[in-house]
Amino acid sequence: MNPGMDIRTSATATKRVSIPWINENNISVVYLLGIVAVFILIMSFLDKNFLTVGNIFNVLNQQSTLGIITLGVAIALIAGCIDLTVGNVLASCAGIAALALKAGMADGWVILLTCVAGLVAGTVNGVIVIKSRINTFIATLGLMSIYQGIALIIPNGNNVYLQGRFGWFGTYKVGGIVPLPVIYFTVLAVVFYVITRYTKFGRKLFAIGSNPEAAFLAGTNLDLNRIITYSISGLLSAFTSLIVISRIGQSQPAMGVSYPLETIAAAVIGGVALSGGKGSVPGVFLGAILLGLIRNSLNILRVPTFYQYVMLGSVIIIAVTLSNLGLARKSGNPG
Amino acid sequence: MESTSLLNVRGCNKSFPGVKALSDFTFDLNAGEVHCVVGENGAGKSTFIKLLSGALRPDEGTITIADKEYAHLTPALAQELGIRTIYQEISLAPDLSVAENILMGKEPTTRLGFVDYASLNREAKRLLDNLKIALDVRTLVKNLDIPQKQSVQIAKAMAEKARIFILDEPTASYSSSEITHLLELVKSVAASGVGVIYISHHLEEVFAIHDRITILRDGFKVATHNKGEVSEETIINEMVGRDLSKFYAREKSNIDYSKAIEFRNMTGGRVKDVSFKVHRGEIVGFAGMVGSGRTDLMRVIFGATDKSDGQVIIEGKEVTINSPAQAIRAGFSLLTEDRQHSGLILEHSVKWNVSLVNMASGAGWFVNEQAERVNVDRYIKALDIRTPNLNQIVRNLSGGNQQKVVLAKWLYADSDVIIFDEPTRGIDIGAKEEIYKLMVELAKEGRYILVISSDMPELIAMCDRVIVMRKGRIAAELGQTDISEEAILTHSIGGTL
Repeated sequence: MNPGMDIRTSATATKRVSIPWINENNISVVYLLGIVAVFILIMSFLDKNFLTVGNIFNVLNQQSTLGIITLGVAIALIAGCIDLTVGNVLASCAGIAALALKAGMADGWVILLTCVAGLVAGTVNGVIVIKSRINTFIATLGLMSIYQGIALIIPNGNNVYLQGRFGWFGTYKVGGIVPLPVIYFTVLAVVFYVITRYTKFGRKLFAIGSNPEAAFLAGTNLDLNRIITYSISGLLSAFTSLIVISRIGQSQPAMGVSYPLETIAAAVIGGVALSGGKGSVPGVFLGAILLGLIRNSLNILRVPTFYQYVMLGSVIIIAVTLSNLGLARKSGNPG
Repeated sequence: MESTSLLNVRGCNKSFPGVKALSDFTFDLNAGEVHCVVGENGAGKSTFIKLLSGALRPDEGTITIADKEYAHLTPALAQELGIRTIYQEISLAPDLSVAENILMGKEPTTRLGFVDYASLNREAKRLLDNLKIALDVRTLVKNLDIPQKQSVQIAKAMAEKARIFILDEPTASYSSSEITHLLELVKSVAASGVGVIYISHHLEEVFAIHDRITILRDGFKVATHNKGEVSEETIINEMVGRDLSKFYAREKSNIDYSKAIEFRNMTGGRVKDVSFKVHRGEIVGFAGMVGSGRTDLMRVIFGATDKSDGQVIIEGKEVTINSPAQAIRAGFSLLTEDRQHSGLILEHSVKWNVSLVNMASGAGWFVNEQAERVNVDRYIKALDIRTPNLNQIVRNLSGGNQQKVVLAKWLYADSDVIIFDEPTRGIDIGAKEEIYKLMVELAKEGRYILVISSDMPELIAMCDRVIVMRKGRIAAELGQTDISEEAILTHSIGGTL
């Protein structure tokens, strides 16, 4: 017994921020928007080629693949689950798509087939990860290796060339300016914004990630909803594989290896908590864009590729550290 | 028996906001004795232990140990002075052996500096033999059951030459033979010159083992008795006895005895074969000591803890409840005891928290933000939740207001059966009365109300009937006229009237 443990002075309700549409829920997105703006400002002074319509769409286009997958990874993270399989699921789906195209299947059917394959893979992952009750990081680490194998088995270890087919899907520019992947990314971001913000499913994901026990007692089916996040993640990986093979005209079993790290980095930079229950789609969108901007700037500034990796890694570590510091400050103040 | 004083607590006061947990508390412990402490939930026993283990500091008073006087202890100091609290949740290293645990930090080494396992095991075995504990010293601690782990902890404390042992409810979930073993062990430990503070709800254990008994009530020491100088009845009388006039006066509701929910043979968790009925408009209280299975019973009813047996019959119709989702659909609400752990999404807004049950269990895909806003606003006003706006993060609210958010969440779900688990713990008097009013209101509307409470005046004032639980079973069912503190307490601790 410890009476008074929970009693707090009732006046602790803080209200630091006075701008009406900014609150504790979206403050991190506002910060991020500021960082992106400052970044663009500095870069446009350093290099006059940076702030051109061409380069901005270039960055958006480059980041669309990472961005789309990150949407799925972020959804899972919000529900408190880590998904490391995205890169190798992408490679496996790429193999399926490329073989189907090579066999002469119509583009529409290929898209459908690939997306179904991704959805199935994601769902199977979800069931295995959730029902085995293994820590999701470890479970998906194992699955990651399994899909690495599958990605090699499907095309028998070979690159599969599309022989000029399917190029439109990832490279066509609407009105000669806006690349299709930018449109996919934007549309999907809007869809996921609506899902997270305006659906009951979205609310449940946040509740599960923040306090599974409370969510469970409120009547949420924890397992089902967590599995669905993996299904979504699988579907988005498959969709992204179509963009990637279309761009480079082939599938490669080893493609996508950097995605597990980069998607989690983009999500965390975008304000998604690794511990679950926190994050927003606008944040994820900006997180993916910021990673792209950094990479693009390093290119423009002619930083050698080797050093780019070092710098990207540093940015990721700094971002996660800051995110943890914020977390520590919160939980370190029990009132 | 020699009577070297090991511990002397003088004039200790300890207050928490709104509650005086210990008032002018005095206690002493001699070498070689078992000094039992009894009292209701909330009498101040845990606070006392925390003063001795250094987890809390007294506001006033002194603690004298081995002729040295201290204003307060720290965990490190308590450790150094040889005070050991033996917990059920173990403070042992599960992946090390019994011997390694017992002699942790004092392992004999070979000339090369490696652990000398032969002498380690020999030494540990000698210790266990002295205490008549039959255990293979090479077994890993994680493979032991709880009573064995407790024995190892006691052996470890002996190895560390600790002088003062504190056992707090050591026998919860023990079988009777395990209890006998533990009591034997405690006696032999005391016989070797250690002082034991033994805290228990179970009077038969206390009578079996005590040299002295101290009774606590509302933070005061009522009395200390020597062995053989006190009866069970006296102890119970000393544990209760409050001024009944200050209790909340409740407006009685009209109970509709033609409509009832019947729970049959509920079994699961700690709960064994519990059957009872609740009527429409009735408030049924659940009394019992901590660990008597009340919370488990509610979780079993609500589908949150798996049940191995049990039927729920609502007004003649059997319903299947295997998950909270099913329970909610069947019209149940469960307001849990620990709101931070299981009631609230602390990092999210008041609005999200209040509409959580509806989000999780309601039909449809999309959130109707308009309706949500109106409803949440309505409950905030109805319950007078003090929050600057709907988007305030719940963590920033006070305890009483957080509790009201939990209430609002379940009221919004509009359930027919509402289960309250310790609804007024840790909140101030004003908020308490508001919650009482609300419970009465809900009963008057013709709902079924179940209340777990360790606050006796609360049970007596609020309930039409009180079910007393003990060791996972119903010990007694007290109708309106039979409800009294003495009756509740007697049945809770297994005494005889």
